[in-house]
Amino acid sequence: MSDTIYDVVVVGAGVAGAILAKTLTRAGKTVLLLEAGHGTSTLSLDGAAAQKEYEGYLQTYYRAAAKVPNAPYPNRPAAPSPDVLDITAIRGVTPATNGYFVQAGPMPFASDYARTPGGTTLHWLGTTLRMLPNDFRMKTKYGVAMDWPIGYEDLRPYYEMAEHEIGVSATVEELVFPGTSPEEFFGDYQFPMTGLPQSYMDRQMAKATEDAKVVVGDGNGGEAEVRLRVTPTPQGRNSTPNPRYRRKELVWDRNRKRLVWNGLCDDERYQPVGATWDPYTGERCEGNASCVPICPVQAKYNALKTLRGAAVGKLTLEHRAVVFRVEVLPCKDAQGDQPVTGIHYKQYRSPEGDAYEVKVARGRRYVLAAHAIENAKILLASGIANSSDQVGRNLMDHVTLLTWGLRRGDGKEVFPFRGPGSTSNYPVFRDAGFRKDHSCFILPIDNWGWGWPTGSPGADLEEFLGQNLYGPRLLKELKDRLTRQVFLHAECEQLPEPTNRVTIDDNYRDKLGNHRPVIHYDISNYLRKAFVAAKSISDQLFEHAGVEDCSRYSPADACYFTYGGQGFWYRGAGHLVGTHRMGSRPEDSVVNPEQRTWDHRNLFLVGCGNMVTLGTSNPTLTMSALAFWAAENILKDLHNQP
Amino acid sequence: MSTFTMSKGRKRQLLLRKGNAIPPGGGRIDTIAQLHHLLQKAVELEHSTIPPYLSALYSIPEGTNPEAAKIIKSVVMEEMLHMVLAANVLNSIRDPQLNLPGPAIDNPNFIPTYPAALPVIDADFQVNLMKFCQDSVEMFVKIERPRAPMGTPRNCQCISSYHTIGQFYEAIEEALVRLSKKGNLFKGDARNQVPDTQYYGGGGKIYAVGCLESALAALREIVGQGEGVHHTVLDGDDKIGEPAEVAHFYRFQEILYGRHYQATDRADSPPSGTPFQVSWDAAYPIKPNPKLADYPVGTELHQMALQANQTYSRLLHELHNALNGRPELLMQSVKIMYDLKYQAIELMKTPLPDGSGNAGFGFEYVAKS
Repeated sequence: MSDTIYDVVVVGAGVAGAILAKTLTRAGKTVLLLEAGHGTSTLSLDGAAAQKEYEGYLQTYYRAAAKVPNAPYPNRPAAPSPDVLDITAIRGVTPATNGYFVQAGPMPFASDYARTPGGTTLHWLGTTLRMLPNDFRMKTKYGVAMDWPIGYEDLRPYYEMAEHEIGVSATVEELVFPGTSPEEFFGDYQFPMTGLPQSYMDRQMAKATEDAKVVVGDGNGGEAEVRLRVTPTPQGRNSTPNPRYRRKELVWDRNRKRLVWNGLCDDERYQPVGATWDPYTGERCEGNASCVPICPVQAKYNALKTLRGAAVGKLTLEHRAVVFRVEVLPCKDAQGDQPVTGIHYKQYRSPEGDAYEVKVARGRRYVLAAHAIENAKILLASGIANSSDQVGRNLMDHVTLLTWGLRRGDGKEVFPFRGPGSTSNYPVFRDAGFRKDHSCFILPIDNWGWGWPTGSPGADLEEFLGQNLYGPRLLKELKDRLTRQVFLHAECEQLPEPTNRVTIDDNYRDKLGNHRPVIHYDISNYLRKAFVAAKSISDQLFEHAGVEDCSRYSPADACYFTYGGQGFWYRGAGHLVGTHRMGSRPEDSVVNPEQRTWDHRNLFLVGCGNMVTLGTSNPTLTMSALAFWAAENILKDLHNQP
Repeated sequence: MSTFTMSKGRKRQLLLRKGNAIPPGGGRIDTIAQLHHLLQKAVELEHSTIPPYLSALYSIPEGTNPEAAKIIKSVVMEEMLHMVLAANVLNSIRDPQLNLPGPAIDNPNFIPTYPAALPVIDADFQVNLMKFCQDSVEMFVKIERPRAPMGTPRNCQCISSYHTIGQFYEAIEEALVRLSKKGNLFKGDARNQVPDTQYYGGGGKIYAVGCLESALAALREIVGQGEGVHHTVLDGDDKIGEPAEVAHFYRFQEILYGRHYQATDRADSPPSGTPFQVSWDAAYPIKPNPKLADYPVGTELHQMALQANQTYSRLLHELHNALNGRPELLMQSVKIMYDLKYQAIELMKTPLPDGSGNAGFGFEYVAKS
């Protein structure tokens, strides 16, 4: 056991942990970062080793038969990751146990994450939408779910920090949001880089549907007419530096006790951050359409870039270190509190998990940044921070309806597979009166053909070969099919429900003897109604654009459900949120607005688990903003009580 | 419009130095037309180094020689920057009344026929298109050789020939300073300038040129990245959080020594930083100076080489337009650069039928069909 006492012990080297590690070490604090995954060369300053490891991921991806989000990354028995390929239907009361998750049902939880250095940012799409003001006040505004203890205005400066760190490309003047104005939303803000070009397909779809009218429910039993708009999507991938962006770096001001900006000099520009092995690779997005699962040039942000920015000499990184217990003072101290006294982890020697050593890490403050599900699992296994009984509850995702079709007609091809995965969306359904009645949703336009719903282009080739097509006829059919594939997906907001939850069960453990997450999950009527509405919108939109709907939802699918006589299946969006939510009262929340647990004064939680509701924004940006918020609070706390 | 700023002291230092009788390697440039001619040569010179560097870079199979590949790539990207910087300076002095053309790129004479001498440099070596090997890296070191120490006697009185690239630019700098004293030299249309928003890759930056200061800054960027500044190995660019960047000459030395320089290393001693592996055997065995004519008409190799040459010619066409008033085309041509890369690599992977090595890509001009 090491005697070192660090200023802060952080668990998890994903985006939240990386932001903590970078911000705290740059403020002069010593940080121990514990990472369950294997591989540190991606983090080291040794460019060649980092490149070799990342190229290994690429080769694995090229060889993989199913190009699912976790396809490129190692899945080790010692610290397994969930995989969407493991999803099966749940029969009766017997959980499905074939993957890392124990799926107790009644419906399968349909998303995954990556337990590897850099975390799930390695395979994220890179969409960086801020949550809308109304997303923070769902109870007040629409009478559902719970309000956040903080509002959009509180988080706005931290969103800007996150956008700087991730390197967001967007042009403020081009963006469209419902329920708020650009002035209210951004003020005089500019993004670090200018917006990426919208794909050819986006522009074709915009031309065909912009201002077209569609009918949607109004939340009071009536109907409302809405005009369609298409807006570019802010993205965490490199574009042209915006000359109007004048911030250089974020620093801790110990006098003012807050994070402040250093500005750029007159002749300086924001510098896009390239690959971890070569600053001149990935300085701009090259339009490879494989953002999920892997950007070949690291033009897309990943957390390894942030880790490389940590202060050398202040950061200690331990990989293959799987945390299994947080130790707290057994009895209450003079302040009536049980502070954390150490973090117990198993450090495995081989990734197969045959041998490991148990170690304890000690610090002045502790941060769990291990992922919404892993954080909940660690807290439940330790029996701590749960006086509210909310740990593990309110698990949420964007429950996603896929719709796809073919755009018919001469010169009407849309040419998918060009450019990043998604560069535009239909924003008008993100916030409206119908949120009283069913989920709101965002409707991104996807650039990867029918890749997600059917497995295109491979699946098309297989289909045509099955019809004995070959030679010029085969080529003609492929060309006709692949150039016309339109694909939309409606990411519907799941609300917090106490019964959608992560638990642990001593009967289900992994190779190291650590608990596997047991997931209890169902799809509410609030969501099912949204699927009906979103499908109707998609039908109307396809009609305006001359797209023949080809969506088919087989009842054999593990994620199939029906509502009002219509059948659908859903997919997960990988947006796992809400297992240790923040709140203004210790009775119904796990952390306070500072991101500190109500029950243990030196234990902070960061990550998507703190989010109260999900809105229609991919949660990484909001989580990153909250991580900066937490970092500032921890620095203040260490300043006041070293 | 230029956003360039330079401290007064630095400016005076430059002006004084240039005003003194430091002899350029070649002769004296007396007219704007002569200066214009030499700037066209500068664009050609910067371009002429790109094919040999790319030949070596693309001959390295993916996943091998990562450090050497990174070094060559960083240099070749900066040569592209230099080409654009030279074009900006050229465009800046195009007084409309003198009717001087913009940079001429889209024609067969723009490309050297390899093996070739460097344009305007009276060097004692030929430049070849070769695979990555000790010979080719030694050739790169010669290309980037720093200028001779001051006071070295000139052996050439004409304005068409210089000892080193550094001396060539020194003559251009001197002429810019002197000619600008006779009145406004920078009468070119600002719309022809490529701004820094249209360029990325490599260290250094684009200067839109509209005055003497920005013109000198552009030339300093070219020479500093090539040879190093202030008798150090450093190139004057730095990037937050990255190791110190050394000039091209020293970067190629790093490959030969298999070891990086450190910021504190002296220019006249070997590098003392982190060592790295160089596998001289890991390179496609391309035959030097390949030509389209090497491959019989009708063969697949001929078709592949023809297509690659067409891509290259299309790229020059786009670059020509970009540097002649349509800077937005520069970014758009990046796609063609990638096409070229993949087509060149396919050729280099293909063995010749006679077993004498692999095919290669010759960077030849093909007129539009």
